[in-house]
Amino acid sequence: MPGRYPLRWVSAGHGFIRRMTLDFLASLCSPGVLCQILVGLSRTVILFIVASGLSLILGVLRIPNIAHGSLYMIGAFMAYTVSRIFGGGITGYCMAILLAPLGVALVSFIIERGIFSRLYEREHIMLFLLTFSFALVFGDLVKMVWGAEYRTVPLPAFFQGSIPILGLPFPIYNFSLLLIGPLVAVALWLIVNKTKMGKISRAAAVDREMVGAVGINVSLVFCIVFVIGCFLAGLGGALVAPIVNVVLGMDHTLIMEAFLIVIMGGLGNIWGALLGSLIFGLTQSLGILVWPQFGIVFPYAAVIVVLSFRPTGLLRSTW
Amino acid sequence: MLEVRGLSKSFGGFLAVNKATLDVSKGEIVAVIGPNGAGKTTLFNLVTGILKPDEGQVIFKGEEITGLPAHKTCKKGITRSFQVVNIFSRLTVFENVRISVLSQQGKTYHWFRPSREFVNEETGEILESVGLINKKDNVCGALSHGDQKVLEIAIALAGKPELLILDEPTAGMSPEETARCIDLIKRLSQNLGLTILFCEHDMELVFAIARRIMVMVRGSTIVQGLPEEVRCNQQVQDAYLGGGDVCSV
Amino acid sequence: MGGKKSIIILLLLAAVLAFLPFGLPRFYTYLTALIVTMGLLSTSLNFALGYGGLYQLHHAVFYGAGAYAAAVMITKLGYNPWLAFIVAPLVAAALSLVLGIICIRLSKLYFGMLQISLGSLVWAIVYRWYGFTGGDDGIHGISVPSMIGSSKGAYYFTMIVAGLAMFFMYRILHSPFGSTLQGIRDNAVRSQAIGVNVRRHQLTALVMAGFFAGVAGVLFVVVDTSVFPDMLFWTLSLEITIMALLGGWFTFLGPMLGAAIIVLLRTFVSTVTEYWTFAMGILLMLVILFLPEGVLGKVFEIWKRRASAEDRS
Repeated sequence: MPGRYPLRWVSAGHGFIRRMTLDFLASLCSPGVLCQILVGLSRTVILFIVASGLSLILGVLRIPNIAHGSLYMIGAFMAYTVSRIFGGGITGYCMAILLAPLGVALVSFIIERGIFSRLYEREHIMLFLLTFSFALVFGDLVKMVWGAEYRTVPLPAFFQGSIPILGLPFPIYNFSLLLIGPLVAVALWLIVNKTKMGKISRAAAVDREMVGAVGINVSLVFCIVFVIGCFLAGLGGALVAPIVNVVLGMDHTLIMEAFLIVIMGGLGNIWGALLGSLIFGLTQSLGILVWPQFGIVFPYAAVIVVLSFRPTGLLRSTW
Repeated sequence: MLEVRGLSKSFGGFLAVNKATLDVSKGEIVAVIGPNGAGKTTLFNLVTGILKPDEGQVIFKGEEITGLPAHKTCKKGITRSFQVVNIFSRLTVFENVRISVLSQQGKTYHWFRPSREFVNEETGEILESVGLINKKDNVCGALSHGDQKVLEIAIALAGKPELLILDEPTAGMSPEETARCIDLIKRLSQNLGLTILFCEHDMELVFAIARRIMVMVRGSTIVQGLPEEVRCNQQVQDAYLGGGDVCSV
Repeated sequence: MGGKKSIIILLLLAAVLAFLPFGLPRFYTYLTALIVTMGLLSTSLNFALGYGGLYQLHHAVFYGAGAYAAAVMITKLGYNPWLAFIVAPLVAAALSLVLGIICIRLSKLYFGMLQISLGSLVWAIVYRWYGFTGGDDGIHGISVPSMIGSSKGAYYFTMIVAGLAMFFMYRILHSPFGSTLQGIRDNAVRSQAIGVNVRRHQLTALVMAGFFAGVAGVLFVVVDTSVFPDMLFWTLSLEITIMALLGGWFTFLGPMLGAAIIVLLRTFVSTVTEYWTFAMGILLMLVILFLPEGVLGKVFEIWKRRASAEDRS
């Protein structure tokens, strides 16, 4: 109501807030902070790749694949082994990026054909628990095969060092991740929207009975989608291997973050996964800058905020 | 008692109900008829609150209830049975009706005494009035289709409604079961003074018990009136009764 | 359902439980108390999941909340332990209400996934708040009243409290509220059409389930005198779900049985191999594929078949 508070108090308050916000934004725009944000974003490219696979499976098969994190971990460990077999260096790395995701895809193919496909008529919660059983099994399988110590995958010389961005050194590998992310997004978009298989899988996501009634082998479609989704998980694991410690338990935190991203972005929506990953990465980086101890809470809070306005996620979901 | 004015609902481009109108006076038995897909069930869903209308009004006993959720319209005095049998299939006949009585009496939050100590008399009465008292301990899934549809009506009755909406109450029933159902509806109207709104495909049944008829085609109300008026209406004949001259008096 | 048979079995079990601490070494007393605590937790989950039809995918949050509330009240805020024991389940119930209000608008799997997210937020806060919750170390050496501080004391306290909680849950599930809840589970549309405010009933069920999970949390504090962040982690939530599934989630005592099986198996398998997680994964797979109705569910099925065979002959 005009005249309620003395006008000069109001304008003083406005001016104060405006100055605080501008100061904050200015500090953000300092090269150091921007660089840190970019590094954080390059890590979330990995999250996006894994989350897009999860979103694909969730959208078409309607299964929240808890084992996705374990497949990511298997991808990382496989990358380690393949890289060792090929003697490290750039060949080792390239072979790892190629073979590890394929290996994960093979594993997922086996479990899909062997067990999953028999259970598609069951209630969702049973399928969900089944993926959890696989997560448990894979977690220990990795321990059995690779042991409990952490592994490191050597970063090839090509990627070592940094390039100057905004006058500050920015790791080359992280920079290439920033390039790979959108490439994967575009490739996925092409597959889902421009290929026949993609169109069929989108139809199956909406109405699987109809698709089956038209004579298409829905089971085969599900298999392909599942394998592609798991391939992405393996790819994420292989890509992240050189810059983190490949260790047991990397599946647990990742699957939580991937779930958050998928929920935030809209189930089954690839661009939603991209948007969700961006928001996640940004809020996490900003959060750590602003409040280091509880920085990790910011992405979760962002999810809650998004979901209070759009309960089904930011972009259209297939559910 | 019930006035529906210009009610519309579309599902993603498909206009299921198009400015429908309906009037039901207290104590009347009114039928809604129309070809399959005419929007009768959708209309009932809109009136009872299972769906929210895009536009239009629903006025019950002078009070506007447009868009009220289903559990609130039930408390206002409108209950319904469903076209596709929609019961608690894991429970027995008695327990099905008992839940409805408990809800009507507002006892659903009692959390300590066992259910079986509650409202047994009232439940028994309702089952007797519909003729299912002998099967009260049968699990619903095992009942014949006709009995399940009567159970539907019993569940709706338990809500002590003033307006009872029945969605194709005799669909799939054998002739004897249909005759019993007609009897039941007549009794409910006469003895309990219930206002009954129903939709049906069985024309003989409709013209036998309905006092007024509303005809729906492709979501719109074509005509509302006494059975003779409807029978002689040219539009109705063309759209529904197969054309020709049915108006021999 | 063999009513008389069940009562005899339960009485026998009660007798065994009453005299257990005098016959077996202390470790088994601790283990049994743990089993009963987990069983209570799993039953409270089943309250929401099996009887309510709600996709309660992160139930452990309420368990952890109750445990941490009690621990923090006793150690950091200096409350009287008995007061803390009473307030802690209320904290868990309040958290359940808050999470419930946020999630209830969504259906089925969405509800579960959002609950996992919110629960993870709570975990993240507890994990990082070193000053208040002990961070990833947790809180140890919580002082409980001396009467229940000993191994036997903790055991009997657990038995009595858990027994009361199970009794109350049993009564609730067989009351009009329980019938309505099961009606909502089986046919939410029909329930609405007969005048039931589905959301409000579901929220009430969630609060109740959260309350009893908080009670289980308090019992754990008494038995173990420590809390740690893993109690809030989503893997525990899934473990409890496995217990409920294994025992039989359309039965009342199934989850307790499932808890007993899992805890005993874990204890003994862990002495033989370090790959207990693998074993649990295989076990879960087998249960889903071949025994979805759970152990107790299967037993009841067999009893029913035998009873109807006898009736016929």
